[in-house]
Amino acid sequence: MQTFASTANRSNTTSTSELTIDGLILSRQQQHLLSLSATIRGGEILTIMGPSGSGKSTLLNWLTGMLPAGFSAEGQLHLNGQNITTTASHLRHIGLLYQDPLLFPHLSVAGNIGFAMPPSSKVQRQAAISEALTQVGLGGLEQRDPQSLSGGQQARVALLRVLLSQPKAILLDEPFSKLDSQLRQETRQLVFDQIRQHQLPAIMVTHDQTDADAAEGKIISLDKIN
Amino acid sequence: MNTVAKLFNPIVRFSPFMMMALLLIPVLGGLIGVILPAFGWIPALDQTHFSLNGFQQLWQTPGIGHMALLSITTSLVSTLLAFLITILILASYFTSPWLGYIQRLLGPILVIPHAAAAIAIGFLITPSGMLSRLVSPWLSGWDAPPDWLYPHDAMGLSIILGVTLKELPFLLLMALGVLAQPDLGQTLRAQHKVALSLGYCPMTAFFKVVLPSLYPHLRLPILAVLAYASASVEIPLILGPNNPPTLAVAIMQWFHDVDLSLRIKASAGAILQIQLTLFVLACWWLLERLVSQFAKPMLTNGEREYGGAIIQKITHVITALMLTIIGLALVGMLLWSFAGFWHFPDALPQQFVILHWQAASQQMHTPLIDTVLIALCATAVAITLTLLTLEAEQHSGKSLSLLGSVLIYLPLLIPSIAFLFGLVWLLEQVNSQHTFINVVLAHVLFVLPYVFLSLASSYRRLDPRFSIVAASLGATKAKIFFRIKLPMLIGPIFIACALGLAISFSQYLPTLLTGGGRINTITTEAVSLANGGSRRISAVYALMQMILPALGFLLAWLLPKIIVKNHRQK
Amino acid sequence: MTGHLMLLANFRWQHIVGTAFYSNLIKSKVVISLGLSALLLAAGLWAGIAHASVNDVVDVVDKPVTQTSTSSWPEIQSRGANQDVYFHAWGGDPQINRYIQWAAKQVKQLYQINLHHVKLTDTSEAVSRVLAEKSANNDHQGQVDLVWINGENFAAMAKHQLLAPNWVDQLPNFSLTDPDNNPAMTRDFGVPTQGMEAPWGKAALTFYYDSIVTTSPPQTLQQLSLWAKQHPGRFTYPKPPDFLATSFLKYALIVLNNSQPEAIKNLLYQPATTQSQALLLPVLWQYLDELHPHLWRKGRHFMSSGMELRRLIGDGELALAFTFSAAEIPAAVARFELPDSSRSYRMQDGSLSNIHFITIPYNAAHRDSAKLVVNFLLSPQAQAHKQQANVWGDTSVLALSKLTAEQQAWFAPSKQSHPSATIANQAISPALSEPDPSWSKVITALWLQRYGVMQ
Repeated sequence: MQTFASTANRSNTTSTSELTIDGLILSRQQQHLLSLSATIRGGEILTIMGPSGSGKSTLLNWLTGMLPAGFSAEGQLHLNGQNITTTASHLRHIGLLYQDPLLFPHLSVAGNIGFAMPPSSKVQRQAAISEALTQVGLGGLEQRDPQSLSGGQQARVALLRVLLSQPKAILLDEPFSKLDSQLRQETRQLVFDQIRQHQLPAIMVTHDQTDADAAEGKIISLDKIN
Repeated sequence: MNTVAKLFNPIVRFSPFMMMALLLIPVLGGLIGVILPAFGWIPALDQTHFSLNGFQQLWQTPGIGHMALLSITTSLVSTLLAFLITILILASYFTSPWLGYIQRLLGPILVIPHAAAAIAIGFLITPSGMLSRLVSPWLSGWDAPPDWLYPHDAMGLSIILGVTLKELPFLLLMALGVLAQPDLGQTLRAQHKVALSLGYCPMTAFFKVVLPSLYPHLRLPILAVLAYASASVEIPLILGPNNPPTLAVAIMQWFHDVDLSLRIKASAGAILQIQLTLFVLACWWLLERLVSQFAKPMLTNGEREYGGAIIQKITHVITALMLTIIGLALVGMLLWSFAGFWHFPDALPQQFVILHWQAASQQMHTPLIDTVLIALCATAVAITLTLLTLEAEQHSGKSLSLLGSVLIYLPLLIPSIAFLFGLVWLLEQVNSQHTFINVVLAHVLFVLPYVFLSLASSYRRLDPRFSIVAASLGATKAKIFFRIKLPMLIGPIFIACALGLAISFSQYLPTLLTGGGRINTITTEAVSLANGGSRRISAVYALMQMILPALGFLLAWLLPKIIVKNHRQK
Repeated sequence: MTGHLMLLANFRWQHIVGTAFYSNLIKSKVVISLGLSALLLAAGLWAGIAHASVNDVVDVVDKPVTQTSTSSWPEIQSRGANQDVYFHAWGGDPQINRYIQWAAKQVKQLYQINLHHVKLTDTSEAVSRVLAEKSANNDHQGQVDLVWINGENFAAMAKHQLLAPNWVDQLPNFSLTDPDNNPAMTRDFGVPTQGMEAPWGKAALTFYYDSIVTTSPPQTLQQLSLWAKQHPGRFTYPKPPDFLATSFLKYALIVLNNSQPEAIKNLLYQPATTQSQALLLPVLWQYLDELHPHLWRKGRHFMSSGMELRRLIGDGELALAFTFSAAEIPAAVARFELPDSSRSYRMQDGSLSNIHFITIPYNAAHRDSAKLVVNFLLSPQAQAHKQQANVWGDTSVLALSKLTAEQQAWFAPSKQSHPSATIANQAISPALSEPDPSWSKVITALWLQRYGVMQ
């Protein structure tokens, strides 16, 4: 499996990037859900494990700034030294990778990646997309309809989409749970390699022990409430 | 049960054809019944040779171009506005609980008949209406109503306001219905989240990610709205200008003119109306093409923000304004229905009386009974045929062909004014005596598509494993249908019933024409009173028009709950 | 949509919870849902069959009737009793509708006839209906038994032979109108009725206003023009072919040509020709050209229905309006639709007057019953009731000289009516006869050409 080198317009990926969760207390209607403090440095992957109902997805929602009504949170979130606790979701620069690739059906493969990239000249963008696709073994599939790709291919396009949006941190929500074991391992390797290469702080939510082991980072286990 | 089981399969197999026949024969027959006179063939007037006189007369009608233009502009502009506001509301409140509140506020508007909505809006914007009373005389200085031209303005702005407000809830609820489909809705919401995490502002994320997938599901409802708006008579009749009116209203007047030879011109006009409707549909298609061509490169240009905050503020204003207009219109109607004398700049009547409700209730019971009976019959036919057709679909294992599903919506897409006059003629040929049946048949044409639309998705989505389990226990298809599928679908069936009733309650032209004046419903009475001498009686009838479908939906919502509750107690 | 899904989810959940309970649930839900749909279907069938069977019975009863046209009154009475009669009459006025309901009760008692008022927004709807039946060769089972009609609609139906001929003389009560000494009873807008329609009532153009807002309303057509200039936007008339519209235009046409030589004036009572139009119409257009800019909405919009005039007075948009049924004014005051200060009067330079009629289409399914109804409507009892201001206030067509003293007393006006029931100038306003019906058509067509499409 090839690895994906730095993109055309990424200036530097310093190791100063850092995601800090400071004294987070999440509750649902006054009922305590979880407490968490953690610092994730660039290239590190913090794994959160726990059964369903333990507040994993609530945590992710808080991190992305999409906490639903009925939940409340105390504590602060810092990204690269900036306090982003109350910043709107779309201004946080935190990328998301779900178990479903969630590619946009109305756009081609290249369109999906282009959608994520910052504005620049069309030629530059196309070159960057092609390069990125080639590096993950999908060269020449630019104009394909995402629905026509295999599951593993879709997962890789989704990964490229997140990375080329130049996020400052990445959240992984059970990212490999829908892939079969062979593909799972390959894709996992690719994703983790890329995260390390880009020196991005990452948080992965999973209930799969092999995922947690492969992340080689800190593991926090949440207990089921009630 | 045995005979039922024996008969069940053939009946089910036969029902799709029955349904198609019930829809196609009246529409096509009606069209023929209009095309022949358009080319000069009316035996009743001793005209039996074909000619183009009708079209020449039509062409020479003063203001014919104006009429056509008015139909085209009002339908296109109002559909576009209703669509844009729908999209803006969705985009602005996509992740907010307000979307649900707006849905609940606008939902009831959906079942208000067009005529009632037009009457309410007319009351609001007329020079002596609620709007000018609220600002007079302290702000406007008006002691007498101003001499402005709303409603009935020559540009058709009042029509546009009426159609937009009436169709907006329809489009919005259609869109929300799409988003409520578990698979599609969840995917779209997740994709919206992805776009947010990629740095897109919520508004842009909606337009670039959700809308392209949502729009194809909205296309048919939009085209139905457009086709309807281009050919409807209720709103233009009540709110539109009459010098000249829209083409559809003019055609209706020619058909009813004392000068019987005008029927040839009216038939030619009906043909023009069909072309006009096709033209606006083509315009929409072209517009859609242009926008998609223009917008395609923008989807992937990486721009994350297009003044979303400002657009959101504008949407807040539009939404608030709309809800205010609707609220004021309803309050105004309610006040009028209880008003004693109501001197102009006063915001409230001098006294409140129940005289108008009493007077109306004396005149109302026959139309009321007819309204309900017709609606019950038409809905019963529509529900039965729909369920059997959907069951046939599952027997044969394949969905209706594309042609079939287009045919179901034919009565909604072909301007009703174009085939109803022909239909009346056709009914005269076969069955001129049974007015009640004629009216029911005509209502079925319009009730069936909506009932089908409402039931099809629930029926098709029903987990097939229930049937498989039941069949493995030895149940016949009939037994599965009656004992498994229908009870499981009782909620959707009741909702479809309520929708069918509401559609039937609101029919004006089909009742007027096939009923030949012998059968009056609340709606036909309300329209004829709308241009009559009494605002108060008119308000009572319009309110009745709103109460009836609301009752239907209330029952549809309550009955399944009560049934379930009774069982829980047992 | 969401509603469906929630309910669906609900049922699935129950399925998981308890199958025994659920199968019970299913059973009675089937019963209920089946019961409901059966009920709906049955209701549909019943209503259809009920309708069909009534008509079938009527078919059998009726067939011989249509073949015999000259029969004695007792024969008509025996054949006509106990049937349905569909009376197609304009239904825009609640007072008139209530009067017809009253009449329905009476004929039910007298003859066991079920009189159905088919409420029209425009009488031409009935004309189209009969025409459609004729085109479908339905010559005996027409759905229209009676039509309230006059003028143009009558002329159109007569021209297309859509009316039953020579039946009015059969009605015993018709003689009470004294047709021999009262030629107006057999002429409709100057056209001989040839026994095809029976007179029902008389009307004259009456103006009304709010006496608080308007202290001195215009008394002549010329004053009206001046008044409109002084009170811009406060007067209008409906758009032709509305009945009130053509009535106003005919009133103007007659008054404006009043100074013409007798020979030219008389052309109004003959079919309009190009020549007579050129002689009589220019003054009308000149008058309207001058009047229109000062009308309601600057003459750019005319309401479709004359009934709206009353509403606009009530709203305060208009200060002056007119009607053909003067009795609607006090009635509308009582219903709070017009201000208590409303007053009515006739123009001093004349009031257009006409008679309205009831006719039977040639193919009416219940012709004899229809005759019984018309005869009742011509009875002193029915005509006196109709003339009461608080009932309808429509002037009787009966000749008082033909009635007994007791019957004559029924026609005396009631004392405690609203001031607007007393019409000013009634004595001094000359009755203007309706011009030939062709003039309505000509005026309508030319008006629409001149003013129908806004420039």
